[in-house]
Amino acid sequence: MSTDWKTEVDKCSKCGKCHTVCPVFLETGDESMVSRGRISLAEALRDKQIVYTDKLRDYVYSCKKCMRCRTVCPSGVDYEVIISALLSGVAENMGIPLLPRIIFRYILPRRILFDLMLKVSSKIQWLIPMKRRGQMRHLPLLFMGKRWIPTLAKKTALQKFRKTKKLKNPKMRVGLFTGCLINYIYVDIAEAVVDVLNRMNIEVVVPQGQLCCGTPSSTMGDFKSTKKLADVNKEVFESQKLDAIVTACATCTKAIKMDYLRTLGPSWQSMSDKIYDISEFIDKYCGDEYETKPIDEKVTYHDPCHLLWVRGISDEPRNVLKKSSDFVEMDQAGACCGGGGIFTIIHYDLTLKMLERKVASIERSGADTVATNCPGCVMQIADGFAGKNSKIKTTHSIQILQKALVDSGINKEK
Amino acid sequence: MKHFKKTKTESKKHQKVLNELIMVLGGEKVLSAIEDRICYSYDGTKQKALPDIVVRPGCTSDVSNTLKIANKYEIPIYARGAGTGLTGGAVPLMGGIVLDLKSMNRIIEICPEDFVATVEPGVVTKHFQDEIAKFDLFYPPDPSSAAFSTIGGNVAECAGGITGLKYGVTRDYILALEIVLSDGSVINTGRKTLRSVTGYDLTRLFIGSEGTLGVFTRITVKLIPKPKKIETLAAYFSDRDDAIDAADLIIDNNILPRTLEFMDQMTISAVRGYGEAPIGEDVKALLLIDIDGTEESISHELPVVENACKEKKAFKTKVAETPRERESIWAVRRSISPALYNIAPHKINEDICVPRSKIKEILQKVDQINEHQTIYIANFGHIGDGNIHVNIMYNDDPGQAALAESIVNKIMREVVAVGGTISGEHGIGNKKSQFMELEISPKELAIMKRFKGFFDPKGIMNPGKMFI
Ligand SMILES: Cc1cc2nc3c(=O)[nH]c(=O)nc-3n(C[C@H](O)[C@H](O)[C@H](O)COP(=O)(O)OP(=O)(O)OC[C@H]3O[C@@H](n4cnc5c(N)ncnc54)[C@H](O)[C@@H]3O)c2cc1C
Ligand code: SF4
Ligand code: SF4
Repeated sequence: MSTDWKTEVDKCSKCGKCHTVCPVFLETGDESMVSRGRISLAEALRDKQIVYTDKLRDYVYSCKKCMRCRTVCPSGVDYEVIISALLSGVAENMGIPLLPRIIFRYILPRRILFDLMLKVSSKIQWLIPMKRRGQMRHLPLLFMGKRWIPTLAKKTALQKFRKTKKLKNPKMRVGLFTGCLINYIYVDIAEAVVDVLNRMNIEVVVPQGQLCCGTPSSTMGDFKSTKKLADVNKEVFESQKLDAIVTACATCTKAIKMDYLRTLGPSWQSMSDKIYDISEFIDKYCGDEYETKPIDEKVTYHDPCHLLWVRGISDEPRNVLKKSSDFVEMDQAGACCGGGGIFTIIHYDLTLKMLERKVASIERSGADTVATNCPGCVMQIADGFAGKNSKIKTTHSIQILQKALVDSGINKEK
Repeated sequence: MKHFKKTKTESKKHQKVLNELIMVLGGEKVLSAIEDRICYSYDGTKQKALPDIVVRPGCTSDVSNTLKIANKYEIPIYARGAGTGLTGGAVPLMGGIVLDLKSMNRIIEICPEDFVATVEPGVVTKHFQDEIAKFDLFYPPDPSSAAFSTIGGNVAECAGGITGLKYGVTRDYILALEIVLSDGSVINTGRKTLRSVTGYDLTRLFIGSEGTLGVFTRITVKLIPKPKKIETLAAYFSDRDDAIDAADLIIDNNILPRTLEFMDQMTISAVRGYGEAPIGEDVKALLLIDIDGTEESISHELPVVENACKEKKAFKTKVAETPRERESIWAVRRSISPALYNIAPHKINEDICVPRSKIKEILQKVDQINEHQTIYIANFGHIGDGNIHVNIMYNDDPGQAALAESIVNKIMREVVAVGGTISGEHGIGNKKSQFMELEISPKELAIMKRFKGFFDPKGIMNPGKMFI
């Protein structure tokens, strides 16, 4: 791990402004659960005043890595450098337990093995007595056993789109990075992406060799495994002739567009520049062209942390939804839904509080459907409505566009 | 980090204190792990000192019980709001107990019919302002840190803000306090009425006491109607003195703008890249002005203000036409603090305040003191109140820190000589205690110390602050 963090921590002026946005701090008021506190812990580690302990690990894991704090920090502290160093310090000093190590290092890099493992685990999870709550957002973390593996799709997205549907005179040729949740569970989101883009005369390739983006291993500080996955993804996507790469998962976008710049270095820059969130892509390249017949539903939008706070993307998905539906804004659309990483496992109570608040905002908006741009948030929010007997549907914004899109002349030929 | 080596008896004592605290308050509210202590060791000055114990009280009786134990064992205790103070107030210089009041964050009541509200000390100021805005009410004290500092901390420092000229500072809005004294007893000062002259004004004594006299557990504040409308104007000058004259002329015209902020050339050069509309090289001083009131009052005042600026040779004035333009003008103001680091990596931030008629004079003095020096000084602030933030910027070269300190020293002397004060709003803490004697005579200092001795005979309340 680089030593940048050792100087980065000195930039923090201890002003406390990160208090205003940190979802965990706003819930707890604990100074140990906000960047200013963690930066001080990092300083103490650097100065050898403390060592890695269970408590320290808990405080490090309590960070949702949403990067809100970095966005508002007046001193320009790159908190991501610091939290990544802490995570990898936890891994190096306290070790990564055997099971995740095996999964990250040996199974994730081999698609067939991961397919198999998920299938088997999802079947036998009912047999193993274990207290499980909610559904798993990061599938590769299945060893934690505290979440249900959701029902797997019969055919994964990668299998479904093994063959690329060729277009006659495509306007562009893009690659889809699916990510685990969309590949295994929300295959319909991948279908919507391919369908919508095809109808906009854009050819979509789903490169077969792609692997997990590496967020689950980074989350546990295993950056070595992340690097391995990134190397493969790099090769797979670079070997294709693509005008752009799109994803429908906010966390995967953050990982492959932003985090890989650190994992893989500057050689990734030219690829990184070509990576887009799906709404961002449509807004940029097809914004004025496509025609819609808005669906007769009130739709609101939830901002995934990793899109809004890491990338500043908020208008684009809304533009798409405004064209496709009767759009209504909810209050606090940018508040976290509570999902994400190890956080939900150690702080399940806080996760639920955040989720409750999100659900209430959605209900207040009067929407029939809540759309968002991340399968993880889709899963979390749908969980929040499940058991509430609510009529509100949760979906990905691309699926709304899929319904509203009017076929243009070009597409009719097909 | 300041880290106190303890003798065996001291360690034993701390263990006892810890056990007793846990017994009375429960384990959840008492933290003693090194990781927790580190997280409560600092404030906005970046100074650090490790406390032995962190207590997170949930109610007045928790505070009272903690103080009883601290008093019994004569252990130092430091009230802490959000730890955003700029003079070291919340830093546990001598070890002991940090009392983190962030969890006492309920708004107890808002009485729109009486124009008063009562809150717990850990309420974040901006949150409170937003809540009362729902009743069309207004609580004006708004330090730039309002979105993350607490009302308790604001009262303890008597925080000011950019609306001070028209609306006053924290002190002007505090009606009554519930205070826990060093022996754990609870007193109430003031009344929940808009006026009260019964007895001595103990409330005022405690405002700005920086946690050295007692811990506030409830705060009753005065509210006023929320102004209907705000207009923003920026005026650009090619001479610093012109900007100061313009500010004077506006006030001479019987207009008290909601805000009247000044930025000098060095400050402008630091923020140049920040706003949406870049500020030209020819701008040597800037006034940012908010006027609030009703549609009619503003339509009368705005032209007067604009003309005053023009009369004093503003070469350009710009009225914000949309909320977005307004926001972009103020974004520049808010960016000053971090942007100053574009000048040099280290900063000493003084918040002197002088009579308005002395502003030109003091700024000239500052220029003279810094003549031929390798240090940069950026001045900006609440010019209507004479409260100027003098920022001494220096780099890592040997001798620079000492030079900066000596410049501060000279500036403080000049400030006091023209009848000013060494701190307009940030307080004394440990950072400025060495300058107290410049401004306060031995006799008054002695009176203050007697008050301190009366309320805190064992000297456990925030030791190392205010006095040297
Ligand atoms: C970016 C930034 C901008 C700022 N802008 C301004 C500004 O415009 N104007 C201004 O005046 N200040 C400003 N400040 C300084 C600071 O925010 C204020 O002094 C604020 O009032 C401190 O509040 P706090 O809750 O952080 O208190 P802390 O820093 O935690 O404590 C400050 C002092 O108050 C005492 N204290 C806290 N709570 C209590 C209580 N309940 N009872 C008794 N004593 C208590 C503490 O012991 C300490 O001495 C700024 C600070 C920053 C970082
Ligand atoms: S906002 Fe930035 S500088 Fe301020 S305390 Fe947080 S991390 Fe430090
Ligand atoms: S990344 Fe998010 S959760 Fe972590 S400290 Fe910053 S704001 Fe809080």
